[in-house]
Amino acid sequence: MDKSRSHPETLREVQPFTFSQSSLQDFSDCPRRFQLRYLFQLSWPAPIAEPIQENERLTRAGERFHNLARQALLGVSLDALHESVLASGESNLPLWWQHFLQLIPLLQVGECRPEYSVSVPMGEHRLLAKFDLVQYFATEQRAVIWDWKTSLHRPPRARLEKRWQTHLYPYLLARTGLPRLGNASLTPSGIEMVYWFPHTPDQPERFLYSEEQFQRDEESLQAILAEINRRQPSQFEQTANERHCHFCVYRSLCERGIQAGSLEEMEGDIDAPGESSLDLNFDQIGEIAF
Amino acid sequence: MVKLTPAQHHLLNQPFEKRIFLEGPAGSGKTTVGVVRMLQLLHAGVPGDQMLVLVPQRALGIPYLRALASPEAPPGGQVSVLTAGGLARRMVDLFWPLIARQAGFAHPERPPVFLTLETAQYYMAHLVRPLLEEGFFESISIDRNRLYSQILDNLNKAALTGFPIEEISERLSAAWNGESSQRRVFADAQHCAMLFRRYCLEHNLLDFSLQVEVFRNFLHPSFLCRAYLHDSVRHLIADNIEEDTPFAHDILREWLPELDSALLIFDQDAGYRRFLGADPESAIRLAAACHETLLFTNSLVTRPGMETLGEALGNVLLIYSPHHSQPTPPQKNDWKEILNFPPQSLRFYPQMLDWVADEVARLVESGTRPGEIAILAPILSDALRFSLANRLDVRGIPYRSHRPSRSLADEPAARCLLTLARLAHPKWNQPIEPEEVIHALFIAIDGLDLVRARLLGSIVFRKHSRQLSSFTQIKPEMQERITYSVGNRYETLRTWLSDYAAQPEMELDLFFSRLFGEVLSQPGFGFHTDLDAGRVTANLIESAQKFRQAVENAGGMEGTSPGCEYLAMVRDGVIASTYVSSWQPPVEDAVFIAPAYTFLLYNRPVEHQFWLDAGSNAWFERLYQPLTHPYVLSRGWEPGRLWTAAEEYQTNRETLFRLTLGLLRRCREKVHLAFSELSEGGFEQRGMLLRSIYQIQIQETRHG
Repeated sequence: MDKSRSHPETLREVQPFTFSQSSLQDFSDCPRRFQLRYLFQLSWPAPIAEPIQENERLTRAGERFHNLARQALLGVSLDALHESVLASGESNLPLWWQHFLQLIPLLQVGECRPEYSVSVPMGEHRLLAKFDLVQYFATEQRAVIWDWKTSLHRPPRARLEKRWQTHLYPYLLARTGLPRLGNASLTPSGIEMVYWFPHTPDQPERFLYSEEQFQRDEESLQAILAEINRRQPSQFEQTANERHCHFCVYRSLCERGIQAGSLEEMEGDIDAPGESSLDLNFDQIGEIAF
Repeated sequence: MVKLTPAQHHLLNQPFEKRIFLEGPAGSGKTTVGVVRMLQLLHAGVPGDQMLVLVPQRALGIPYLRALASPEAPPGGQVSVLTAGGLARRMVDLFWPLIARQAGFAHPERPPVFLTLETAQYYMAHLVRPLLEEGFFESISIDRNRLYSQILDNLNKAALTGFPIEEISERLSAAWNGESSQRRVFADAQHCAMLFRRYCLEHNLLDFSLQVEVFRNFLHPSFLCRAYLHDSVRHLIADNIEEDTPFAHDILREWLPELDSALLIFDQDAGYRRFLGADPESAIRLAAACHETLLFTNSLVTRPGMETLGEALGNVLLIYSPHHSQPTPPQKNDWKEILNFPPQSLRFYPQMLDWVADEVARLVESGTRPGEIAILAPILSDALRFSLANRLDVRGIPYRSHRPSRSLADEPAARCLLTLARLAHPKWNQPIEPEEVIHALFIAIDGLDLVRARLLGSIVFRKHSRQLSSFTQIKPEMQERITYSVGNRYETLRTWLSDYAAQPEMELDLFFSRLFGEVLSQPGFGFHTDLDAGRVTANLIESAQKFRQAVENAGGMEGTSPGCEYLAMVRDGVIASTYVSSWQPPVEDAVFIAPAYTFLLYNRPVEHQFWLDAGSNAWFERLYQPLTHPYVLSRGWEPGRLWTAAEEYQTNRETLFRLTLGLLRRCREKVHLAFSELSEGGFEQRGMLLRSIYQIQIQETRHG
């Protein structure tokens, strides 16, 4: 009975827990998925979508794009970055990069914080956001949250509007402000969330935030946290919408299918590298000699 | 809320702008005050994203991460908790285009390829293997993988200490005091290190040493990186700096004058990671760059007897040191209360393990929480881990173990996947033994016992064809014995493999993922509800994927696919033998089985410690490392000085003293000394640890 293999079964056992937009979305899509991924911390490495190679290529291209955007915004030479895009051999990247270069002048107005993370306590837990970019306009006391979306299919606005990210990110920015940029308290109406799609750069989706929405979001967040908190192990039920299962790695464990769904039909967030834990292996060298 | 001592309050009352050097023994509340200081700064309005907590190893950052994840931390930007190596890697990744050309990489326009320990060993093997055929290293007998890792170790030591890699052999040779043929070995190691470095530069590969060197020599001095760090790190807490390297200390020394606040925490009598370049002497010099040194003296963890025993061990073990001329008996006899011995002499090793398991069971029955017990060995082999695990299982005691270099390739689920991969790729011509197929079927098919797996495997697998035949071709009476339900599952697996083999070859990690998702984790197959198999498969996929990506990004390899090469490397023990799985926080309430040094670096006191195999010399002797040397390649070593046998002996004694003192300072109640007259291999045991404790007993008897 190696206890390293046992896991908590309810949220109460893992307090405090840090909720991200992905974990909130997972719970909303399928409580069972939330339980398997975050409570059991279960590695279940089945394919997410087919063709598996294409999915991997797109994920890597998305990660690469996020990295390039960050480097460019931190002042790394655009020529050097351009050279690396051309040498990458990645088919989507040159076009995405071209589009991003056109966006850069717009991003150079005001002050920019690329790859900025904030967290906020809520009850016994915390909420976390990892912004691709926050742009702040001091004179107008206004901030724009940019999120790069490199997924193959652009989700419809109505779908984006329902996603937790659209609510959590502006809510958290309103709660924390931008103290390093000289503004410790932003009003909700001064915040805008923009999803920018490098393959369709002229059609970003913009969501203006407001005081009313802030209040509603706070209530929704409190409600969902309380809901997850009160659930017993058997109450993390599987989703009734089996479409989610097509793109879920746990489909075999839940006996909800054999093959992964088609990438063509996937509208997703395969482009969010921030929540993977690449850095967990940075320190392998530090673990070996003993 | 933590109750703080006056000393801790005194520190917290210091103004933020003061740079503080905090020194004290383990268990005196240093990390606790470090965590509270971090929260204090955050509550005072310091932006979290301008704060860095630097630790020498991820596990030592856990208390800070826990505090940051708690609702007590205020809203705001995220504090970074990093190691110096992690920081270097992040900066290299971020600012790569700035320095790639200048640092000598042949393809600055391509992204860097960061090597893991596994992939670094792979490339080292790739370069060194032909040289071994030519007679390199012929005068020493050493496992090849250890040879590769020691050459890498030399490169890492050079980078962390800060001397040019060209000087490795010169330094080792100058200190060598034995047969001259060893100098030839050092020269061979030097040649291999240089070859490896050239290869890395030609292919954009960055092993740990090159990440450190590129950061130190090119990035850190660059304006953009410096400005970025200057902006991101205004407040610093560096904990356990005695376990960190001169590389980390150099960065700290440079940063300190410019920081808005700093707290450096130094654990006295430690420096356990010396083999990894830890340098407590270099760490303590940072005190001079701080405004004030504060000292915590009292242990908040141990009973007085622990300190008495620690002092007595110091008296015995350090008597040959110029600073300690006379061994003296313990001043008090409270140390006896904290030691527990077997009631009678145990002759054989298994008897010792039985005694340990019985004692653990007795403690748990009498109310001790399993998480308050640690079983510590100088070296934790698979066999020892298995023997202990069996005994604890029988007694119903929960346990967890941690051994850093556990072989992934030895996990049953991984062995199953690797065999199925060979079967699915007949063109790769990888040898497959019938026993491997039997094992793979046994693991893969739910409801198949070992007897029937053997029967099925011996019928359907022919070694020469490397393929599986159909269940339908088996004689009906045999089908009946194997059962039709098992037969159906077998057919599903076989058909899947055969269909796959008819398609164009897929990347090995993607093959594993698909095989896992579509067959092995489906109902009726062995991984379906086996959560541990899922974890092992994920680790294997990660290992194979990193290997492939490293090989692809470095320009690929001629004449063979990365998947085929990966399987060959696993068979040779180069890959998947040193895989380090993702860090996991310790489970609270289970007996912890670990090497003693690993326990120290978890830095979590327990009530009861079992010192296993206390008579073994492994507690005392340094690992055999003929190609490297942790002391000679350290910054404090005078070039040209000889490393003598007396020095080796004295250093081992000092190391044993530090180790035992560290353990005692992390023990609240009792140390249980477990030993047998004969070792696992049947030899008489009289190791230095046990002898030292006997010596303390004798001294006390003599002095009444």
